[in-house]
Amino acid sequence: MSVRPLAIPRPATPLHDRPVARRWTEIDPILLIVTLLLIAYGLVMTYSTTAETRTFTGDPMQFVIRGALWAGVGLAAMSLVATFDYAWLGTFAPVLYVITLSLLAIVLQLGTATLGAQRSVQIAGLTFQFSEVAKVLMIVVLAKYFADRRSRIGSPLVMLFGLALLAPAVFLVYRQPDLGTSLVFIAIFFGISFLAGARMWQLVGLVAIAGASFPVMWALLKDYQRARLSAFLDPYSDPQGAGWNIIQSLIAVGSGGATGKGLTAGTQSPLGYLPIAESDFVFAGLAEDLGFAGAIILFALYMFLLFAALRVAFRARDPFGMLIGGGVATMLLFQILVNVGMAISLMPVTGIPLPFISHGGSSLVSICFALGVLQSVSMRREPEGP
Amino acid sequence: MVREEPRAFVHPRRFIAFAVAIAVVFSALTVRLYDLEIVHGGYYHELSEQNRILRLPVAAERGGVTDRRGYVLVRNVPGFAVSVIPVDLPRSRETELFQRLGALLGLPSDSVGDTVRTQRQRNPYEPVRISKTPVPREIAFAITERAELFPAVRVDPESIRLYVDGTLYSPVIGYTGPITEDELGKLRDQGYLGDDDIGRTGIESIYERYLRGTYGWREIERDAAQREIKTLALQQPIVGNTVVLTIDDRLQKLLDAELRKGVEEDRFTQAVGIAMNPQNGEILAMVSIPGYDNNMFARGITTAELAALNADDRHPLVNKAVGDQYPAGSTFKLVTGLSALSEGTATRSTTVNVSAMSFSVSGTTFYDWRAHGPLDFVTGFAHSSDIYFYTLAGGTPFAPNVRGVGPEAIAKYGKMLGFGSRTGIDLPNEAAGIMPDPVWKLTTQDEPWTIGNTYQEAIGQGFVAVTPLQLLNAYASVANGGTLWQPHLLKQVTSPTGAAVPIPQAQPIRKLDISQENLRLLRESARRVVTIGHAYMPKARLPIAGKTGTAEFGAANGKDSAGRNRLGFHNWFVSFVPQADNADPTAQIAMVIFTYDSSKSLCDNCFNPAVGMSQRILETYLLDTK
Repeated sequence: MSVRPLAIPRPATPLHDRPVARRWTEIDPILLIVTLLLIAYGLVMTYSTTAETRTFTGDPMQFVIRGALWAGVGLAAMSLVATFDYAWLGTFAPVLYVITLSLLAIVLQLGTATLGAQRSVQIAGLTFQFSEVAKVLMIVVLAKYFADRRSRIGSPLVMLFGLALLAPAVFLVYRQPDLGTSLVFIAIFFGISFLAGARMWQLVGLVAIAGASFPVMWALLKDYQRARLSAFLDPYSDPQGAGWNIIQSLIAVGSGGATGKGLTAGTQSPLGYLPIAESDFVFAGLAEDLGFAGAIILFALYMFLLFAALRVAFRARDPFGMLIGGGVATMLLFQILVNVGMAISLMPVTGIPLPFISHGGSSLVSICFALGVLQSVSMRREPEGP
Repeated sequence: MVREEPRAFVHPRRFIAFAVAIAVVFSALTVRLYDLEIVHGGYYHELSEQNRILRLPVAAERGGVTDRRGYVLVRNVPGFAVSVIPVDLPRSRETELFQRLGALLGLPSDSVGDTVRTQRQRNPYEPVRISKTPVPREIAFAITERAELFPAVRVDPESIRLYVDGTLYSPVIGYTGPITEDELGKLRDQGYLGDDDIGRTGIESIYERYLRGTYGWREIERDAAQREIKTLALQQPIVGNTVVLTIDDRLQKLLDAELRKGVEEDRFTQAVGIAMNPQNGEILAMVSIPGYDNNMFARGITTAELAALNADDRHPLVNKAVGDQYPAGSTFKLVTGLSALSEGTATRSTTVNVSAMSFSVSGTTFYDWRAHGPLDFVTGFAHSSDIYFYTLAGGTPFAPNVRGVGPEAIAKYGKMLGFGSRTGIDLPNEAAGIMPDPVWKLTTQDEPWTIGNTYQEAIGQGFVAVTPLQLLNAYASVANGGTLWQPHLLKQVTSPTGAAVPIPQAQPIRKLDISQENLRLLRESARRVVTIGHAYMPKARLPIAGKTGTAEFGAANGKDSAGRNRLGFHNWFVSFVPQADNADPTAQIAMVIFTYDSSKSLCDNCFNPAVGMSQRILETYLLDTK
């Protein structure tokens, strides 16, 4: 037996932290560069899918300018967030949780209906998709929850309470209705609990329960959601109806070929065959305009981004930082999988934006915010080596 | 020594699993994308082009029709089609627009509304045609100049067929009409489309293949709502060929004027006149009265108008020059005479002493129109003695030494001269006529042939039925020295660039198996019909030869649809004009005039109205300044 050496307490609060100016050297450069590249790629795609819209009568650059403004806001938010120690977020996690649920409730109460769903709120002429913000806040809340209960993670009660935290948010989003985003929340929960060390039997059990309850879920689905799932299995059973989007999206993607038809030269989206071409089906427009090559470049950027996020998580100074990193990576990976999968008919149709590429300020700013937190985690990691 | 690892909260294996998940996700997406874009890229590219590019047909004008001198009989005039695009029509203005359009186009506003609403269900972006018939220029301008009063209304040019002398040529030229589903099924391969017009009857139908233009096409880019974005490519349509007929408009109008005058003077109720060149079968004129105005069909005939045409007991829609058959009367003595001469049972000197107006055979009495006294072949034909030809056909007590040639021989020569079968003229719905013989009677009537049948056949009554064209063609074959031509109306076909389009050559049906001597005897006899005064032509200026005929039919009382008296007799005069006053086969023109329901005002000089008309028409046409 030996005497446990005296534990020197680490700085417990942000007040003990090093000066910000010195920590800027610790930002993750890959994460930053890839973020900037993806924002640029997104602006290019916004230009390509909207400039040639024949039915659009205003300034053809309008969408691009708006996207650039949002990108500026997002980068500012990212920089600002990075300067603060993310531990503050942990401190205020209960408040953030209340804000999350409030935002989602406001959407349900005041939301503007588009395409049959109340997903956005108009404030001062701007449209906000609060569920995009809520996703990021939920990452923080869940990361904090699991970080604090790391030692008791084996207890089913911890998982159950975690689910109880998650459930109201999922329910509110589902009621909008926005099945896709509620699935993103669930994915975040799995990602964070997985990295937090939840027992595999618990995670597998949850998946098994979800699978077993599928018939019940099917009954709870709205008609259009059921139609989308059926159309996913066989788009040609209703080619003019539920299958239309899938077929047109496949045509757009496939017709791009190896190198694409060229920027703004795609025909599927400007002529209206491809619905919501600048957001939900933006990947189909990208694949049509820039082809297989453009898609591979996008995939490469995404993989750099995700691995960078994972590295930040891996090197985080504490479980909270690690789980934030894991949560953000999970959210991005899930959205990429579902959105791209939808465009190439590997996934059913759901309205989830493609990170950076889909046109939409709320999504972009929320992601920038999340990446700002990630940079904060990176900047405050333990020095490497002895 | 156990020391808590400071970074025990990191589960490296979980991170590895996460990294593997990322790799798996992107591998799956990449593989699928490779399959779509690289492996099947061509297929999907094709689909995207089909989505976007639409080939629209551009209608081609139908070719015109002219007479042999280039006088235009059919041309196209611009008309307009009025349509509505439902998606552009605000609902608040619907009622107002439907009423306004209905009033302007003469349609009930309800039906305009129904048309638009039905289309809104089907495809609101596609214009639906409101005008049922081509709209005249004034109405089209009224709409386009006040566009604000007509929201969502489109006016597009279309072409209407104009039949210049509608009623005069309708029996020959016919008309076009919308293609039916059945026809479309058969003709789609030849480039016909759903809203095509197709020749329905007459020249329009027979020469559809020449007249029809070739569609051009326009490739347009369209959006998902099927709206046209821009024209990508254009192939101009090709106008149809011009059909030049053998008809001479001048002769046609002379014939028509005479026949129409006769109808107006109530000397007969219906009439047919055909003129042809016996040397080649070209039809120079063909008139059938009453006709109908085929422009009614061009602008879209109404149900009431069509019902009236169908209810008319004079059958104006039938071209009676070829489409109906009648007893030939005495004109048929040509066949009886030629068969007796050819079979050798008679010669030009065979004499019959017609000493009485009638005789009886087994209880039936047969009449002549007078007791002529002794007649040889020429005078028997010239005076149109029935008893003389009864004798040649079946033998009579008036000339016990003359053996009748018999019904089989008459039928044989009748068929040789074209009776009982279609001439094959380039017109639809030709009647075949009837050339009876004992076998025919047995098979169709199940009764044996009697001597009475032979007598009736000899003078073109009884079962004999001919079309005016068959009769004309038979006389023409005698007039030209023994060639039965296929009558035809097609002179030439000219392409839009003015080049001649190859057409089938005019063909003789057959050479008559009749000696030149006998044909010459018939021509001489036909000339005597005029010179002897039977077909009296006062102050004749041409050596016209011919044969009269009068046939009794039906009831000689009541009135027809036009309110004219039913008179009970047909009159025929078939004529030809030798170049000199001799029996040489030199005639350049032969003509038949057939008057239906002629009055039987018997006098030697005036009983057949067709004779005087023929003289006036032929003399004016051939001699008077053009």
